[in-house]
Amino acid sequence: MLLAQILLNGVLLGGLYGLMALGMALVWGVLNIVNLAHGAFVMLGGYCVYFIFTGLGIDPFAALPFAFLAIFVLGYLLQRYVLNLIVRSAQLNTLLITFGLDVVLTYLAQLAFTADFRTINPSYAGANVTLFGLTLPLLRFAAFVAALLFAALLWVILQRTRLGRAIRATAQNLTAARLYGVDPAQLYALTFGLGVGLAGAAGGLYGMVAQVTPYIGATLTAKSFVITIIGGLENPFGIVLGGIVIGIIEALASIYIGATFTDAISFGLLLIILIVRPMRGLRTA
Amino acid sequence: MKRLYTVAVAAMGAVLCASAVLDARAADSPKIVTLGASMQLTGADTNLARYFRDGYQVTVDRINEQGGIRIGDDTYRLALKILDNQSNINLGIQQYTQLITRDKVDFLLGPYGSNHTLNESSIAEKYRVPMVEGGGAAKQIFDRGYRYIFGTAPPAENYFGSTVEMMTKLDPSVHTLALLTADDAFDVAVRAGTQALAQRLGIELVVDQVYPEATPNFTSLLALVKSKSPDAILVGGHEAESLNFLREAKSLDVNARYLTSLTVGVPSHDFRIALGKDAEGVFGMTPWVISPVMRDRWFGDGQQFAQLFQHRFNYEPDYHVASAVADVETFAYALEAAGTLDREKVRDAIAKSDFESAYAPIRYQASGQIDIPQIVIQVENGKVMPIYTDHFLNKPNYPVSAWTKRNK
Amino acid sequence: MLRWVVPALCVIALAALPLTGNDVLVQYGIDALLFATLAQAWNILGGFTGYVSFGNSSFYGLGTYGTAIAMAQLHWPFGVGLALGAFLAVACAVLFGIPILRLRGHYFAIATLGLSATLAAIIANLNISGKNIGLILPLTRADNAFYEEALILLIAATATVAWIAKSRFGTALLAIREDEDAALVMGINTTRYKIAALALSAFFTSIAGGIHAYWITFVDPAGSFDLTLNVRMIIMAMFGGPGTVYGPLIGAFTLSAVYDVLASSISTAAALLFGIVIVLAVIFMPRGLWDLARGFRQDGVRYFLQNIRANRL
Repeated sequence: MLLAQILLNGVLLGGLYGLMALGMALVWGVLNIVNLAHGAFVMLGGYCVYFIFTGLGIDPFAALPFAFLAIFVLGYLLQRYVLNLIVRSAQLNTLLITFGLDVVLTYLAQLAFTADFRTINPSYAGANVTLFGLTLPLLRFAAFVAALLFAALLWVILQRTRLGRAIRATAQNLTAARLYGVDPAQLYALTFGLGVGLAGAAGGLYGMVAQVTPYIGATLTAKSFVITIIGGLENPFGIVLGGIVIGIIEALASIYIGATFTDAISFGLLLIILIVRPMRGLRTA
Repeated sequence: MKRLYTVAVAAMGAVLCASAVLDARAADSPKIVTLGASMQLTGADTNLARYFRDGYQVTVDRINEQGGIRIGDDTYRLALKILDNQSNINLGIQQYTQLITRDKVDFLLGPYGSNHTLNESSIAEKYRVPMVEGGGAAKQIFDRGYRYIFGTAPPAENYFGSTVEMMTKLDPSVHTLALLTADDAFDVAVRAGTQALAQRLGIELVVDQVYPEATPNFTSLLALVKSKSPDAILVGGHEAESLNFLREAKSLDVNARYLTSLTVGVPSHDFRIALGKDAEGVFGMTPWVISPVMRDRWFGDGQQFAQLFQHRFNYEPDYHVASAVADVETFAYALEAAGTLDREKVRDAIAKSDFESAYAPIRYQASGQIDIPQIVIQVENGKVMPIYTDHFLNKPNYPVSAWTKRNK
Repeated sequence: MLRWVVPALCVIALAALPLTGNDVLVQYGIDALLFATLAQAWNILGGFTGYVSFGNSSFYGLGTYGTAIAMAQLHWPFGVGLALGAFLAVACAVLFGIPILRLRGHYFAIATLGLSATLAAIIANLNISGKNIGLILPLTRADNAFYEEALILLIAATATVAWIAKSRFGTALLAIREDEDAALVMGINTTRYKIAALALSAFFTSIAGGIHAYWITFVDPAGSFDLTLNVRMIIMAMFGGPGTVYGPLIGAFTLSAVYDVLASSISTAAALLFGIVIVLAVIFMPRGLWDLARGFRQDGVRYFLQNIRANRL
């Protein structure tokens, strides 16, 4: 019984993690940008939903699309006018510049929002149902479903729409894509915007199950890394699955090994996977 | 190539000269005593560190408004120099060193948190500068035989002391306990103290788990706790963890049979705001409540202090703020008693402190740490109600009803 | 002969700094010297082979913990502590270098990051390392000694890099940076060279960590394996000019001075400015100050625009 509850918790948590990592995987897979500021966008999305909820009284789930949009626009502008400037330089530079962006965004958030804890607390926040002797927290379940939906949406966009085809073509061969009339600056910006917009939406959900402060970004970025490596860059569902795997492992490790070991296990897993299967995803280097 | 060498050498020379000049800055206008601190003004600890910064500020300003202090035959004003260590201990250590060696502050005040204080106090000791802090409660800080560190936060080991004692006197009394603590200095001390006390009083620890401070996620631990059905749940952690814990406990419908208590958060206003109705019935502890009982030379009494503080800073002060007040007042009294700015004499005067402040009667033990009892409190109707010190002050809402049985 | 005059003068000037009796300068100095060593050590692998390590903080952390455990738990002297730290770091470099150095580009960087995070997480669970609370080292008032030790370490690291730049070892590393596959085809045992570079890098990094630990009298997992530290190392090396002998030094000294001055005057904004500096540096001078000096002399302001044009989408 305990085991079953722990597994359930792990799966639900993992779903949310997976959603968070979707955006990072998209940006990494298509633009070859490892976004060290990923967590900052999650954080900003969380604040969006928080302010829409507490300021305008709109239900947080209904506020998610707005958060997505706001962060999408931010990401679009950043990519178009800042990141596009360094896309062809050494890979190290994207790591450095996104790190710098993370520092700046975190600082500005602290300036604007202070370090007070913000919780997104709709009336149904703590609701749960009991099924087969297990407690199912409804909010986390909704976040899990949202994760699956977003993954499906992303898959549909990538596989079945013109935009998606353009994105995939650009990922594989930029020159060829250009020949077909793809405007790379626009496309890169759209993709990055899409990726961080997803992160922002995940942030809104995160604020409902935990709390939002300017500093939550770092651990979330690290978590998203691990999931992206495990889940691979090919398929959005792979990412959600990767998230669930990590969620389960952490949940089990918490009890059977010790909660303080969860980080060691997550990162250890990251290391092992990278070593054992060095070539993953759309690109090899 | 050679041009670049020349430029580089010139640049380094310029930096050296500039620093030398900056250091030979105009002497301070006379008759100011400067208290320095490196605090977490940004970064993960900001939320609580600002209580200390505001507490220091309000006290320094108040003392100055009322004419400053007399040291020997002269009147002195107090000044603060606070640097932001961005919640980074390494930077904090460097900044304390700078405060002493470059900014030449006279004395030191502490940062927030046992982790920070444990390490940054070593600098104060190294340079033999008295430091009074209110943010470090772990006994480790005071177990090292350091002579220059004084603390107004009561020992971490005793945080759950009055709570556990109370639990044996309640009806129905508590026999089993789930204890969850983080792995930072403060909580390690809380755990050790609580384990010892529970054992002495015959309460069984059915769950005794340590969780990582950096990434608190309680879902698995909560499932474990639920499976053991403890009478009481005690959670050691800081504000973020307390918030997380309660919200997750609600969403997973995990209840203690009788009561839940948290080390940090409950007395703080924004904690109760963040949780809303979910904070009802939760127990906590504080060494200080707002009341006119404590008299204070500069603020009148505890209640007047709270009013003045709330008026200026727009939030209700909690024990962190109050202990910060006591930190500054310790220096004020000690300087007057010593009659000099000499660090050794002031240090000795601090050790002999015996005065009443809005926070508590201030007397430091030989180790340098104060020892005042924790008041058990409970949240009732959004307000903090003092329940128990070594006797009951008010009747508690007990046993606390389960999540699902509460009025929505 | 003349080439040695300026460096020698610099060394003498730096060594004489403690004589000014200015405590604060010595503080800044120790910090700057240690950072310069870290940047230089990073340069050995990152600058010459092009393998960007985000995990030098692993070696730094092992260096700090080796010293801390030796001094605080086992009560061994400082020198032994440094040796222990260096041993752990080099062993780690060789052990993990073999599998990790097979990875290219981003994956190598991520793997090193993972290594650092894993080590931090493990150390936060061990009793001998004080778990998450960390360790406190014996207190000592010997800042001038630390300063000179840091200076000697920096000289050793720079001398090593100078030797690498002129040796066949260095040429092999550069060949790996330019085109690793071609180097392999030409019969260079790239793995062995990369591991050697990583081990050297680890050695100097760990000694710097050990000195820092004793100086500050404290270690903890978060501070010792800090990613920000690693990024600062990289920024300093890149800012100055990776793959050169003096680039990392210049980058480290300049940025250290700026950062330290900011952190003590407008401390809150220091972080923000740091972030902005990184962003601007990556856009406008991705090849470092060294290259900037050359390019600016040749093309003036157009140097910056050229960089953007070369690197933009």
